[in-house]
Amino acid sequence: MTAQFVLMQLFNGLILGSLYVLLALGLSIIFGTLGIINFAHGAFFMLGAYIAYTITTYLMPSFWVALIGVPIAMTLFGATCELFLFRRLYALPPLYIMLLTFGLMLVLQDTVRMIYGSMGVPFRTPGSLTGAVNLGFMYYPTYRLFLIIVTAVCSLGVWLFLSRTKVGAMIRAGTDNSQMVDALGINISRIITLVVALGTGLAGLAGVLAAPIQNVRYLMGMDFLIDCFVVVVIGGMGSIGGSILGGLIVGEIIAVGVMVWPPMAHTLIYLFMAVFLLTRPRGLFGREAFHD
Amino acid sequence: MSVVKILILSSVLALAIVFPHIAPYEGLASEVLIFMLFAMAYDLVLGDAGMLSFGHAAFFGLGAYTAGIFLIRVYSSVLLALLGGVIVASIAAFLIGAACIRRRGIYFTMVTLAFAQMFYFIAFKWTGLTGGDDGLQNVPRPDLGPFDLGSELTLYYFILVLVGLSVIVIVRVVNSPFGKTLQALRENRDRAMSIGYDVDRYRLIVFIISGFFSGLAGGCYALLLNFVPLSSLYWTTSGEVVVMTIAGGMGTLFGPALGALGIILLRDIISNYTESWSLFMGLLFMAAVLGFRGGIMGIVRDKLKLPI
Repeated sequence: MTAQFVLMQLFNGLILGSLYVLLALGLSIIFGTLGIINFAHGAFFMLGAYIAYTITTYLMPSFWVALIGVPIAMTLFGATCELFLFRRLYALPPLYIMLLTFGLMLVLQDTVRMIYGSMGVPFRTPGSLTGAVNLGFMYYPTYRLFLIIVTAVCSLGVWLFLSRTKVGAMIRAGTDNSQMVDALGINISRIITLVVALGTGLAGLAGVLAAPIQNVRYLMGMDFLIDCFVVVVIGGMGSIGGSILGGLIVGEIIAVGVMVWPPMAHTLIYLFMAVFLLTRPRGLFGREAFHD
Repeated sequence: MSVVKILILSSVLALAIVFPHIAPYEGLASEVLIFMLFAMAYDLVLGDAGMLSFGHAAFFGLGAYTAGIFLIRVYSSVLLALLGGVIVASIAAFLIGAACIRRRGIYFTMVTLAFAQMFYFIAFKWTGLTGGDDGLQNVPRPDLGPFDLGSELTLYYFILVLVGLSVIVIVRVVNSPFGKTLQALRENRDRAMSIGYDVDRYRLIVFIISGFFSGLAGGCYALLLNFVPLSSLYWTTSGEVVVMTIAGGMGTLFGPALGALGIILLRDIISNYTESWSLFMGLLFMAAVLGFRGGIMGIVRDKLKLPI
Protein backbone atom coordinates (compact mmCIF):
# COMPACT_ATOMS: atom_id res chain seq x y z
CA MET A 1 0.00 0.00 0.00
CA THR A 2 1.79 3.09 -1.22
CA ALA A 3 1.37 6.59 0.14
CA GLN A 4 0.00 7.55 -3.26
CA PHE A 5 -2.78 4.94 -2.94
CA VAL A 6 -3.66 6.01 0.58
CA LEU A 7 -3.87 9.64 -0.52
CA MET A 8 -5.98 8.72 -3.52
CA GLN A 9 -8.32 6.78 -1.29
CA LEU A 10 -8.61 9.67 1.17
CA PHE A 11 -9.57 11.92 -1.73
CA ASN A 12 -12.18 9.40 -2.79
CA GLY A 13 -13.53 9.56 0.74
CA LEU A 14 -13.81 13.29 0.28
CA ILE A 15 -15.91 12.74 -2.86
CA LEU A 16 -18.31 10.41 -1.11
CA GLY A 17 -18.32 12.79 1.84
CA SER A 18 -19.21 15.72 -0.44
CA LEU A 19 -22.30 13.91 -1.68
CA TYR A 20 -23.28 13.07 1.89
CA VAL A 21 -22.86 16.74 2.80
CA LEU A 22 -25.26 17.94 0.09
CA LEU A 23 -27.87 15.37 1.08
CA ALA A 24 -27.44 15.80 4.81
CA LEU A 25 -27.76 19.59 4.53
CA GLY A 26 -31.19 19.27 2.94
CA LEU A 27 -32.23 16.51 5.32
CA SER A 28 -31.11 18.60 8.25
CA ILE A 29 -32.88 21.86 7.36
CA ILE A 30 -36.10 20.01 6.52
CA PHE A 31 -35.84 18.24 9.84
CA GLY A 32 -35.21 21.53 11.58
CA THR A 33 -38.36 23.18 10.27
CA LEU A 34 -40.80 20.28 10.06
CA GLY A 35 -39.44 17.97 12.72
CA ILE A 36 -39.53 15.01 10.33
CA ILE A 37 -37.14 12.74 8.51
CA ASN A 38 -37.81 13.03 4.85
CA PHE A 39 -37.68 9.44 3.62
CA ALA A 40 -38.21 10.69 0.08
CA HIS A 41 -34.92 12.60 0.23
CA GLY A 42 -32.99 9.70 -1.24
CA ALA A 43 -35.58 9.38 -3.97
CA PHE A 44 -35.16 13.10 -4.76
CA PHE A 45 -31.43 12.45 -5.11
CA MET A 46 -32.09 9.50 -7.43
CA LEU A 47 -34.60 11.56 -9.40
CA GLY A 48 -31.96 14.26 -9.86
CA ALA A 49 -29.59 11.73 -11.41
CA TYR A 50 -32.29 10.36 -13.74
CA ILE A 51 -33.44 13.81 -14.84
CA ALA A 52 -29.81 14.65 -15.64
CA TYR A 53 -29.62 11.43 -17.65
CA THR A 54 -32.81 12.29 -19.51
CA ILE A 55 -31.65 15.82 -20.29
CA THR A 56 -28.21 14.84 -21.52
CA THR A 57 -29.43 11.84 -23.50
CA TYR A 58 -32.66 13.02 -25.09
CA LEU A 59 -32.83 16.81 -24.93
CA MET A 60 -29.48 18.47 -25.05
CA PRO A 61 -26.17 16.64 -24.68
CA SER A 62 -24.72 19.13 -22.25
CA PHE A 63 -23.81 18.34 -18.68
CA TRP A 64 -23.89 22.05 -17.83
CA VAL A 65 -27.53 22.38 -18.79
CA ALA A 66 -28.30 19.44 -16.52
CA LEU A 67 -26.19 20.89 -13.72
CA ILE A 68 -28.25 24.09 -13.75
CA GLY A 69 -31.58 22.64 -14.85
CA VAL A 70 -31.92 19.71 -12.45
CA PRO A 71 -31.63 21.68 -9.19
CA ILE A 72 -34.20 24.17 -10.53
CA ALA A 73 -36.57 21.39 -11.57
CA MET A 74 -36.13 19.61 -8.25
CA THR A 75 -36.66 22.82 -6.30
CA LEU A 76 -40.00 23.26 -8.03
CA PHE A 77 -40.81 19.61 -7.45
CA GLY A 78 -40.03 19.97 -3.74
CA ALA A 79 -42.25 23.03 -3.48
CA THR A 80 -45.06 21.11 -5.20
CA CYS A 81 -44.73 18.20 -2.77
CA GLU A 82 -44.84 20.57 0.16
CA LEU A 83 -47.82 22.54 -1.10
CA PHE A 84 -49.97 19.62 -2.15
CA LEU A 85 -48.93 16.75 0.12
CA PHE A 86 -47.04 17.65 3.28
CA ARG A 87 -49.18 20.68 4.01
CA ARG A 88 -52.29 18.58 4.60
CA LEU A 89 -50.72 16.86 7.57
CA TYR A 90 -49.20 19.63 9.68
CA ALA A 91 -52.00 19.48 12.22
CA LEU A 92 -51.16 15.84 12.98
CA PRO A 93 -48.22 14.22 14.80
CA PRO A 94 -45.03 14.26 12.65
CA LEU A 95 -45.27 10.48 12.31
CA TYR A 96 -47.82 10.87 9.52
CA ILE A 97 -45.68 13.13 7.32
CA MET A 98 -42.81 10.69 7.70
CA LEU A 99 -45.00 7.83 6.58
CA LEU A 100 -46.22 9.96 3.70
CA THR A 101 -42.65 10.61 2.57
CA PHE A 102 -41.95 6.88 2.83
CA GLY A 103 -44.87 6.18 0.50
CA LEU A 104 -43.73 8.95 -1.82
CA MET A 105 -40.27 7.38 -1.92
CA LEU A 106 -41.69 4.00 -2.95
CA VAL A 107 -43.86 5.59 -5.63
CA LEU A 108 -40.99 7.63 -7.10
CA GLN A 109 -38.60 4.67 -7.05
CA ASP A 110 -40.98 2.28 -8.69
CA THR A 111 -42.07 4.81 -11.29
CA VAL A 112 -38.45 5.33 -12.28
CA ARG A 113 -37.95 1.56 -12.39
CA MET A 114 -40.92 1.17 -14.72
CA ILE A 115 -39.68 3.88 -17.07
CA TYR A 116 -35.93 3.22 -17.09
CA GLY A 117 -35.76 -0.42 -16.03
CA SER A 118 -34.11 -1.96 -13.00
CA MET A 119 -30.64 -2.33 -14.50
CA GLY A 120 -29.56 1.28 -14.21
CA VAL A 121 -28.48 3.60 -16.99
CA PRO A 122 -25.02 4.60 -18.27
CA PHE A 123 -23.87 8.13 -17.58
CA ARG A 124 -20.64 9.44 -19.04
CA THR A 125 -18.36 12.01 -17.48
CA PRO A 126 -18.86 15.33 -19.30
CA GLY A 127 -16.24 15.85 -22.03
CA SER A 128 -14.68 19.02 -20.68
CA LEU A 129 -14.14 17.40 -17.29
CA THR A 130 -12.50 14.14 -18.35
CA GLY A 131 -8.84 13.49 -17.77
CA ALA A 132 -6.80 14.16 -14.70
CA VAL A 133 -5.21 17.12 -13.00
CA ASN A 134 -1.69 17.20 -11.66
CA LEU A 135 -1.95 18.26 -8.04
CA GLY A 136 1.80 18.32 -7.58
CA PHE A 137 1.91 15.19 -5.46
CA MET A 138 -0.45 13.08 -7.57
CA TYR A 139 -2.80 13.01 -10.52
CA TYR A 140 -6.49 13.18 -9.72
CA PRO A 141 -9.52 12.87 -12.05
CA THR A 142 -10.71 16.35 -13.07
CA TYR A 143 -14.37 15.55 -12.58
CA ARG A 144 -13.89 14.47 -8.99
CA LEU A 145 -11.97 17.61 -8.20
CA PHE A 146 -14.77 19.61 -9.79
CA LEU A 147 -17.29 17.79 -7.59
CA ILE A 148 -15.39 18.67 -4.43
CA ILE A 149 -15.24 22.34 -5.43
CA VAL A 150 -18.93 22.57 -6.35
CA THR A 151 -19.92 20.99 -3.05
CA ALA A 152 -17.66 23.31 -1.08
CA VAL A 153 -19.12 26.36 -2.85
CA CYS A 154 -22.70 25.17 -2.32
CA SER A 155 -22.18 24.35 1.35
CA LEU A 156 -20.64 27.75 1.87
CA GLY A 157 -23.56 29.31 0.00
CA VAL A 158 -26.14 27.53 2.13
CA TRP A 159 -24.29 28.47 5.27
CA LEU A 160 -24.05 32.14 4.26
CA PHE A 161 -27.69 32.15 3.21
CA LEU A 162 -28.83 30.77 6.55
CA SER A 163 -26.51 32.80 8.75
CA ARG A 164 -26.27 36.15 6.93
CA THR A 165 -29.58 36.84 5.18
CA LYS A 166 -32.90 37.91 6.60
CA VAL A 167 -34.73 34.95 5.13
CA GLY A 168 -32.05 32.70 6.59
CA ALA A 169 -32.67 34.23 9.98
CA MET A 170 -36.39 33.53 9.60
CA ILE A 171 -35.63 29.91 8.75
CA ARG A 172 -33.39 29.55 11.77
CA ALA A 173 -36.02 31.18 13.95
CA GLY A 174 -38.61 28.79 12.54
CA THR A 175 -36.35 25.91 13.53
CA ASP A 176 -36.28 27.13 17.10
CA ASN A 177 -39.91 28.00 17.58
CA SER A 178 -42.22 28.11 14.59
CA GLN A 179 -45.27 29.26 16.57
CA MET A 180 -43.41 32.27 17.88
CA VAL A 181 -42.23 33.15 14.36
CA ASP A 182 -45.81 32.91 13.19
CA ALA A 183 -46.96 35.14 16.04
CA LEU A 184 -44.37 37.75 15.06
CA GLY A 185 -46.10 38.16 11.73
CA ILE A 186 -43.82 36.13 9.50
CA ASN A 187 -45.53 33.86 7.03
CA ILE A 188 -44.21 30.57 8.38
CA SER A 189 -45.92 28.41 5.80
CA ARG A 190 -44.04 30.22 3.04
CA ILE A 191 -40.82 29.63 4.95
CA ILE A 192 -41.60 25.90 5.17
CA THR A 193 -42.25 25.72 1.42
CA LEU A 194 -38.94 27.46 0.82
CA VAL A 195 -37.04 25.08 3.09
CA VAL A 196 -38.48 21.93 1.53
CA ALA A 197 -37.82 23.35 -1.94
CA LEU A 198 -34.24 24.26 -1.04
CA GLY A 199 -33.55 20.85 0.52
CA THR A 200 -35.00 19.05 -2.49
CA GLY A 201 -32.96 21.23 -4.84
CA LEU A 202 -29.78 20.30 -2.96
CA ALA A 203 -30.69 16.62 -3.19
CA GLY A 204 -31.23 17.06 -6.94
CA LEU A 205 -27.86 18.77 -7.27
CA ALA A 206 -26.21 15.88 -5.41
CA GLY A 207 -27.95 13.54 -7.86
CA VAL A 208 -26.53 15.28 -10.95
CA LEU A 209 -23.07 15.42 -9.44
CA ALA A 210 -23.18 11.76 -8.43
CA ALA A 211 -24.46 10.52 -11.80
CA PRO A 212 -21.07 10.30 -13.58
CA ILE A 213 -19.35 8.47 -10.73
CA GLN A 214 -22.09 6.40 -9.11
CA ASN A 215 -24.17 3.61 -10.51
CA VAL A 216 -27.37 5.38 -11.66
CA ARG A 217 -30.01 2.92 -10.44
CA TYR A 218 -33.50 3.34 -9.10
CA LEU A 219 -32.41 2.06 -5.67
CA MET A 220 -29.37 4.35 -5.35
CA GLY A 221 -31.22 6.89 -3.23
CA MET A 222 -32.40 4.86 -0.27
CA ASP A 223 -29.02 3.29 0.40
CA PHE A 224 -27.43 6.73 0.29
CA LEU A 225 -30.14 8.12 2.53
CA ILE A 226 -29.53 5.56 5.25
CA ASP A 227 -25.85 6.51 5.23
CA CYS A 228 -26.99 10.11 5.62
CA PHE A 229 -28.87 9.13 8.78
CA VAL A 230 -25.52 8.08 10.16
CA VAL A 231 -24.13 11.46 9.06
CA VAL A 232 -26.76 13.45 10.91
CA VAL A 233 -26.53 11.31 14.03
CA ILE A 234 -22.79 11.94 14.10
CA GLY A 235 -22.95 15.60 13.08
CA GLY A 236 -25.97 16.49 15.17
CA MET A 237 -29.41 16.94 13.69
CA GLY A 238 -30.35 20.46 12.65
CA SER A 239 -26.78 21.74 12.53
CA ILE A 240 -25.24 22.98 9.27
CA GLY A 241 -21.68 22.59 10.51
CA GLY A 242 -22.54 19.14 11.82
CA SER A 243 -23.87 18.02 8.46
CA ILE A 244 -20.70 19.16 6.72
CA LEU A 245 -18.24 17.69 9.18
CA GLY A 246 -20.32 14.53 9.70
CA GLY A 247 -20.58 13.98 5.95
CA LEU A 248 -16.84 14.25 5.47
CA ILE A 249 -16.11 11.99 8.45
CA VAL A 250 -18.46 9.26 7.21
CA GLY A 251 -17.01 9.49 3.70
CA GLU A 252 -13.49 9.11 5.06
CA ILE A 253 -14.46 6.21 7.34
CA ILE A 254 -15.76 4.29 4.35
CA ALA A 255 -12.65 5.16 2.32
CA VAL A 256 -10.33 4.00 5.10
CA GLY A 257 -12.50 0.91 5.65
CA VAL A 258 -12.14 -0.02 1.99
CA MET A 259 -8.35 0.01 2.41
CA VAL A 260 -8.35 -2.02 5.61
CA TRP A 261 -11.12 -4.58 5.22
CA PRO A 262 -13.27 -4.03 2.11
CA PRO A 263 -16.26 -6.31 2.90
CA MET A 264 -16.92 -4.58 6.19
CA ALA A 265 -16.21 -1.00 5.08
CA HIS A 266 -19.85 -0.10 5.18
CA THR A 267 -20.55 -1.80 8.48
CA LEU A 268 -17.89 0.37 10.12
CA ILE A 269 -20.00 3.52 9.90
CA TYR A 270 -22.84 1.87 11.81
CA LEU A 271 -20.48 0.79 14.54
CA PHE A 272 -19.12 4.31 14.64
CA MET A 273 -22.68 5.58 14.96
CA ALA A 274 -23.32 3.18 17.84
CA VAL A 275 -20.26 4.51 19.65
CA PHE A 276 -21.50 8.06 19.14
CA LEU A 277 -24.95 7.20 20.42
CA LEU A 278 -23.56 5.74 23.59
CA THR A 279 -20.96 8.40 24.31
CA ARG A 280 -22.23 11.61 22.72
CA PRO A 281 -25.87 11.11 21.76
CA ARG A 282 -26.43 14.64 20.51
CA GLY A 283 -23.67 14.33 17.93
CA LEU A 284 -20.86 16.79 17.31
CA PHE A 285 -22.85 20.03 17.11
CA GLY A 286 -26.39 18.97 17.92
CA ARG A 287 -28.45 20.88 20.40
CA GLU A 288 -29.78 19.06 23.42
CA ALA A 289 -33.36 20.16 22.90
CA PHE A 290 -33.72 18.34 19.60
CA HIS A 291 -33.97 14.80 20.79
CA ASP A 292 -36.07 15.16 23.85
CA MET B 1 -66.91 -13.41 28.30
CA SER B 2 -69.94 -12.07 26.58
CA VAL B 3 -71.91 -13.99 23.96
CA VAL B 4 -70.69 -11.66 21.21
CA LYS B 5 -67.08 -12.28 22.11
CA ILE B 6 -67.54 -16.05 22.10
CA LEU B 7 -69.29 -15.79 18.74
CA ILE B 8 -66.51 -13.71 17.21
CA LEU B 9 -63.78 -15.90 18.68
CA SER B 10 -65.30 -19.16 17.48
CA SER B 11 -65.93 -17.82 13.99
CA VAL B 12 -62.34 -16.55 13.75
CA LEU B 13 -61.14 -19.97 14.89
CA ALA B 14 -63.34 -21.73 12.34
CA LEU B 15 -62.12 -19.39 9.63
CA ALA B 16 -58.50 -20.01 10.60
CA ILE B 17 -59.06 -23.77 10.32
CA VAL B 18 -60.65 -23.68 6.87
CA PHE B 19 -58.45 -20.80 5.62
CA PRO B 20 -55.83 -22.95 3.79
CA HIS B 21 -58.66 -24.65 1.89
CA ILE B 22 -60.18 -21.42 0.63
CA ALA B 23 -56.92 -19.46 0.09
CA PRO B 24 -55.51 -19.55 -3.47
CA TYR B 25 -52.81 -21.94 -2.24
CA GLU B 26 -51.79 -23.31 1.15
CA GLY B 27 -48.44 -21.52 1.32
CA LEU B 28 -50.21 -18.18 0.99
CA ALA B 29 -52.35 -18.98 4.03
CA SER B 30 -49.21 -19.72 6.05
CA GLU B 31 -47.61 -16.49 4.83
CA VAL B 32 -50.65 -14.54 5.98
CA LEU B 33 -50.36 -16.09 9.46
CA ILE B 34 -46.65 -15.28 9.66
CA PHE B 35 -47.14 -11.65 8.72
CA MET B 36 -50.12 -11.35 11.07
CA LEU B 37 -47.81 -12.32 13.90
CA PHE B 38 -45.08 -9.97 12.65
CA ALA B 39 -47.51 -7.04 12.37
CA MET B 40 -48.98 -7.66 15.83
CA ALA B 41 -45.49 -7.87 17.31
CA TYR B 42 -44.58 -4.64 15.54
CA ASP B 43 -47.68 -2.89 16.80
CA LEU B 44 -46.56 -3.48 20.38
CA VAL B 45 -43.80 -0.98 19.67
CA LEU B 46 -45.66 1.43 17.39
CA GLY B 47 -49.23 1.30 18.63
CA ASP B 48 -48.79 0.67 22.31
CA ALA B 49 -45.50 2.39 23.02
CA GLY B 50 -45.67 4.99 20.24
CA MET B 51 -42.18 4.32 18.89
CA LEU B 52 -41.83 4.33 15.09
CA SER B 53 -39.23 1.66 14.44
CA PHE B 54 -38.00 1.23 10.89
CA GLY B 55 -35.65 -1.57 11.84
CA HIS B 56 -37.91 -4.53 12.47
CA ALA B 57 -36.59 -6.30 9.39
CA ALA B 58 -33.50 -6.94 11.53
CA PHE B 59 -35.43 -9.11 13.99
CA PHE B 60 -37.52 -10.83 11.35
CA GLY B 61 -34.47 -11.49 9.17
CA LEU B 62 -32.26 -12.60 12.05
CA GLY B 63 -34.96 -15.02 13.19
CA ALA B 64 -35.19 -16.42 9.68
CA TYR B 65 -31.44 -16.67 9.10
CA THR B 66 -30.71 -18.17 12.51
CA ALA B 67 -33.43 -20.80 12.18
CA GLY B 68 -32.26 -21.62 8.65
CA ILE B 69 -28.57 -21.82 9.52
CA PHE B 70 -29.38 -23.91 12.60
CA LEU B 71 -31.36 -26.43 10.53
CA ILE B 72 -28.67 -26.64 7.86
CA ARG B 73 -25.54 -26.76 10.02
CA VAL B 74 -26.34 -27.59 13.62
CA TYR B 75 -29.22 -29.88 14.32
CA SER B 76 -32.31 -31.01 12.51
CA SER B 77 -35.02 -29.91 14.89
CA VAL B 78 -37.72 -27.42 13.98
CA LEU B 79 -38.48 -26.38 17.53
CA LEU B 80 -34.85 -25.85 18.51
CA ALA B 81 -34.24 -23.91 15.28
CA LEU B 82 -37.17 -21.60 15.99
CA LEU B 83 -35.99 -21.20 19.55
CA GLY B 84 -32.54 -20.25 18.29
CA GLY B 85 -34.03 -17.68 15.95
CA VAL B 86 -36.12 -16.19 18.71
CA ILE B 87 -33.14 -15.97 21.06
CA VAL B 88 -30.89 -14.27 18.50
CA ALA B 89 -33.65 -11.83 17.52
CA SER B 90 -34.30 -10.99 21.18
CA ILE B 91 -30.60 -10.41 21.85
CA ALA B 92 -30.42 -8.13 18.80
CA ALA B 93 -33.49 -6.27 20.05
CA PHE B 94 -31.83 -5.87 23.41
CA LEU B 95 -28.60 -4.51 21.89
CA ILE B 96 -30.26 -2.18 19.39
CA GLY B 97 -32.77 -1.13 22.02
CA ALA B 98 -30.08 -0.44 24.60
CA ALA B 99 -28.26 1.78 22.09
CA CYS B 100 -31.22 3.82 20.89
CA ILE B 101 -34.14 3.51 23.28
CA ARG B 102 -33.31 6.82 24.91
CA ARG B 103 -33.52 8.60 21.57
CA ARG B 104 -36.95 10.08 21.02
CA GLY B 105 -39.09 10.44 17.96
CA ILE B 106 -37.27 10.64 14.69
CA TYR B 107 -33.86 9.85 16.12
CA PHE B 108 -35.20 6.49 17.17
CA THR B 109 -36.61 5.91 13.69
CA MET B 110 -33.34 6.76 11.94
CA VAL B 111 -31.15 4.77 14.23
CA THR B 112 -33.28 1.61 14.14
CA LEU B 113 -33.25 1.81 10.35
CA ALA B 114 -29.48 2.28 10.25
CA PHE B 115 -28.79 -0.65 12.57
CA ALA B 116 -31.11 -2.91 10.60
CA GLN B 117 -29.21 -1.92 7.48
CA MET B 118 -26.00 -2.97 9.23
CA PHE B 119 -27.33 -6.52 9.60
CA TYR B 120 -28.34 -6.45 5.97
CA PHE B 121 -24.81 -5.54 4.94
CA ILE B 122 -23.30 -8.23 7.13
CA ALA B 123 -25.60 -10.88 5.64
CA PHE B 124 -24.89 -9.54 2.16
CA LYS B 125 -21.11 -9.78 2.56
CA TRP B 126 -20.79 -12.91 4.71
CA THR B 127 -21.58 -15.21 1.82
CA GLY B 128 -19.99 -18.27 3.44
CA LEU B 129 -22.60 -18.31 6.17
CA THR B 130 -25.63 -16.65 4.61
CA GLY B 131 -25.36 -17.24 0.90
CA GLY B 132 -25.10 -13.49 0.33
CA ASP B 133 -27.19 -12.07 -2.46
CA ASP B 134 -28.67 -15.47 -3.38
CA GLY B 135 -30.15 -15.90 0.07
CA LEU B 136 -29.87 -18.97 2.27
CA GLN B 137 -30.76 -21.89 0.03
CA ASN B 138 -32.17 -25.33 0.86
CA VAL B 139 -33.42 -24.88 4.38
CA PRO B 140 -34.70 -28.35 5.35
CA ARG B 141 -38.06 -28.91 6.99
CA PRO B 142 -37.61 -31.99 9.23
CA ASP B 143 -40.55 -33.85 10.77
CA LEU B 144 -41.85 -32.75 14.12
CA GLY B 145 -42.46 -35.94 16.09
CA PRO B 146 -45.28 -37.74 14.27
CA PHE B 147 -46.09 -34.73 12.06
CA ASP B 148 -44.77 -34.49 8.53
CA LEU B 149 -44.08 -30.79 8.12
CA GLY B 150 -43.15 -31.44 4.51
CA SER B 151 -46.88 -31.20 3.84
CA GLU B 152 -47.92 -27.57 3.34
CA LEU B 153 -51.19 -28.20 5.16
CA THR B 154 -49.51 -29.68 8.24
CA LEU B 155 -47.06 -26.80 8.28
CA TYR B 156 -49.98 -24.37 8.18
CA TYR B 157 -51.56 -25.92 11.26
CA PHE B 158 -48.20 -26.01 13.02
CA ILE B 159 -47.74 -22.29 12.34
CA LEU B 160 -51.37 -21.68 13.35
CA VAL B 161 -50.68 -23.22 16.77
CA LEU B 162 -47.53 -21.13 17.21
CA VAL B 163 -49.22 -17.92 16.09
CA GLY B 164 -52.29 -18.67 18.23
CA LEU B 165 -50.15 -19.12 21.34
CA SER B 166 -48.21 -15.95 20.52
CA VAL B 167 -51.41 -13.95 20.05
CA ILE B 168 -52.64 -15.10 23.46
CA VAL B 169 -49.37 -13.90 25.00
CA ILE B 170 -49.50 -10.58 23.10
CA VAL B 171 -53.09 -9.95 24.19
CA ARG B 172 -52.09 -10.70 27.77
CA VAL B 173 -49.16 -8.30 27.50
CA VAL B 174 -51.28 -5.47 26.08
CA ASN B 175 -53.99 -5.87 28.70
CA SER B 176 -51.61 -6.37 31.61
CA PRO B 177 -50.60 -3.57 33.97
CA PHE B 178 -47.37 -3.50 31.95
CA GLY B 179 -49.30 -2.82 28.75
CA LYS B 180 -51.42 -0.16 30.41
CA THR B 181 -48.27 1.53 31.69
CA LEU B 182 -46.86 1.57 28.17
CA GLN B 183 -49.98 3.28 26.89
CA ALA B 184 -49.67 5.80 29.69
CA LEU B 185 -46.06 6.48 28.68
CA ARG B 186 -47.17 6.96 25.08
CA GLU B 187 -49.93 9.39 26.02
CA ASN B 188 -48.02 11.47 28.53
CA ARG B 189 -44.42 10.63 29.13
CA ASP B 190 -43.71 13.43 31.59
CA ARG B 191 -46.59 12.54 33.84
CA ALA B 192 -45.71 8.85 33.80
CA MET B 193 -42.14 9.75 34.70
CA SER B 194 -43.16 11.99 37.53
CA ILE B 195 -45.34 9.23 38.96
CA GLY B 196 -42.14 7.25 39.11
CA TYR B 197 -42.15 4.91 36.15
CA ASP B 198 -38.78 4.11 34.62
CA VAL B 199 -39.76 5.04 31.05
CA ASP B 200 -36.67 3.71 29.31
CA ARG B 201 -36.90 0.34 31.02
CA TYR B 202 -40.50 -0.15 29.93
CA ARG B 203 -39.68 0.87 26.39
CA LEU B 204 -36.72 -1.48 26.26
CA ILE B 205 -38.75 -4.43 27.56
CA VAL B 206 -41.52 -3.96 25.02
CA PHE B 207 -38.93 -3.57 22.28
CA ILE B 208 -37.42 -6.93 23.26
CA ILE B 209 -40.84 -8.63 23.41
CA SER B 210 -41.58 -7.26 19.97
CA GLY B 211 -38.21 -8.49 18.69
CA PHE B 212 -38.93 -11.92 20.20
CA PHE B 213 -42.18 -12.41 18.26
CA SER B 214 -40.75 -10.83 15.11
CA GLY B 215 -37.95 -13.40 15.31
CA LEU B 216 -40.50 -16.21 15.68
CA ALA B 217 -42.34 -14.95 12.60
CA GLY B 218 -39.02 -14.85 10.75
CA GLY B 219 -38.16 -18.41 11.75
CA CYS B 220 -41.53 -19.65 10.48
CA TYR B 221 -40.91 -17.75 7.25
CA ALA B 222 -37.65 -19.67 6.71
CA LEU B 223 -39.53 -22.95 7.21
CA LEU B 224 -42.31 -21.93 4.87
CA LEU B 225 -40.07 -20.90 1.99
CA ASN B 226 -37.34 -23.54 2.56
CA PHE B 227 -35.16 -20.55 1.88
CA VAL B 228 -34.26 -17.18 3.42
CA PRO B 229 -34.25 -14.29 0.95
CA LEU B 230 -31.72 -11.53 1.62
CA SER B 231 -34.61 -9.08 1.27
CA SER B 232 -35.97 -10.34 4.61
CA LEU B 233 -33.33 -8.10 6.22
CA TYR B 234 -33.78 -5.17 3.84
CA TRP B 235 -35.59 -1.95 4.76
CA THR B 236 -38.46 -2.88 2.44
CA THR B 237 -39.46 -5.59 4.91
CA SER B 238 -39.57 -3.01 7.70
CA GLY B 239 -41.62 -0.75 5.44
CA GLU B 240 -44.05 -3.53 4.68
CA VAL B 241 -44.77 -4.29 8.32
CA VAL B 242 -45.29 -0.58 8.96
CA VAL B 243 -47.84 -0.30 6.16
CA MET B 244 -49.64 -3.44 7.40
CA THR B 245 -49.90 -1.93 10.85
CA ILE B 246 -51.05 1.48 9.63
CA ALA B 247 -53.50 0.00 7.13
CA GLY B 248 -54.98 -2.22 9.82
CA GLY B 249 -55.09 0.51 12.43
CA MET B 250 -52.23 1.00 14.84
CA GLY B 251 -52.76 0.36 18.51
CA THR B 252 -55.94 -1.62 17.86
CA LEU B 253 -54.45 -5.02 18.79
CA PHE B 254 -56.12 -7.04 15.99
CA GLY B 255 -56.10 -4.31 13.36
CA PRO B 256 -52.49 -4.98 12.27
CA ALA B 257 -53.37 -8.66 11.76
CA LEU B 258 -56.22 -7.61 9.46
CA GLY B 259 -53.81 -5.26 7.71
CA ALA B 260 -51.38 -8.12 7.17
CA LEU B 261 -54.17 -10.32 5.79
CA GLY B 262 -55.32 -7.60 3.41
CA ILE B 263 -51.86 -6.68 2.20
CA ILE B 264 -50.57 -10.21 1.64
CA LEU B 265 -53.71 -11.13 -0.30
CA LEU B 266 -53.58 -7.87 -2.26
CA ARG B 267 -49.92 -8.42 -3.10
CA ASP B 268 -50.72 -11.92 -4.32
CA ILE B 269 -53.48 -10.61 -6.58
CA ILE B 270 -51.50 -7.65 -7.89
CA SER B 271 -48.35 -9.65 -8.58
CA ASN B 272 -50.38 -11.74 -11.03
CA TYR B 273 -50.73 -8.68 -13.22
CA THR B 274 -47.70 -6.48 -12.68
CA GLU B 275 -44.26 -6.33 -11.11
CA SER B 276 -44.96 -2.94 -9.62
CA TRP B 277 -46.00 -4.06 -6.17
CA SER B 278 -43.92 -1.42 -4.46
CA LEU B 279 -45.67 1.32 -6.45
CA PHE B 280 -48.98 0.04 -5.09
CA MET B 281 -47.56 -0.19 -1.62
CA GLY B 282 -46.36 3.40 -1.87
CA LEU B 283 -49.78 4.59 -3.02
CA LEU B 284 -51.39 2.58 -0.24
CA PHE B 285 -49.06 4.23 2.26
CA MET B 286 -49.99 7.70 1.01
CA ALA B 287 -53.69 6.90 0.83
CA ALA B 288 -53.67 5.46 4.34
CA VAL B 289 -51.93 8.53 5.71
CA LEU B 290 -53.95 11.11 3.79
CA GLY B 291 -57.30 9.37 3.78
CA PHE B 292 -57.99 6.77 6.42
CA ARG B 293 -55.61 7.17 9.32
CA GLY B 294 -57.58 4.88 11.59
CA GLY B 295 -56.96 1.97 9.21
CA ILE B 296 -59.37 -0.91 8.70
CA MET B 297 -60.21 -0.99 12.40
CA GLY B 298 -60.90 2.74 12.36
CA ILE B 299 -63.36 2.31 9.51
CA VAL B 300 -65.03 -0.60 11.27
CA ARG B 301 -65.30 1.41 14.44
CA ASP B 302 -66.48 4.73 12.97
CA LYS B 303 -68.67 3.66 10.09
CA LEU B 304 -70.19 0.47 11.38
CA LYS B 305 -70.27 1.65 15.00
CA LEU B 306 -69.03 -1.69 16.27
CA PRO B 307 -67.62 -1.61 19.78
CA ILE B 308 -64.21 -3.12 19.08
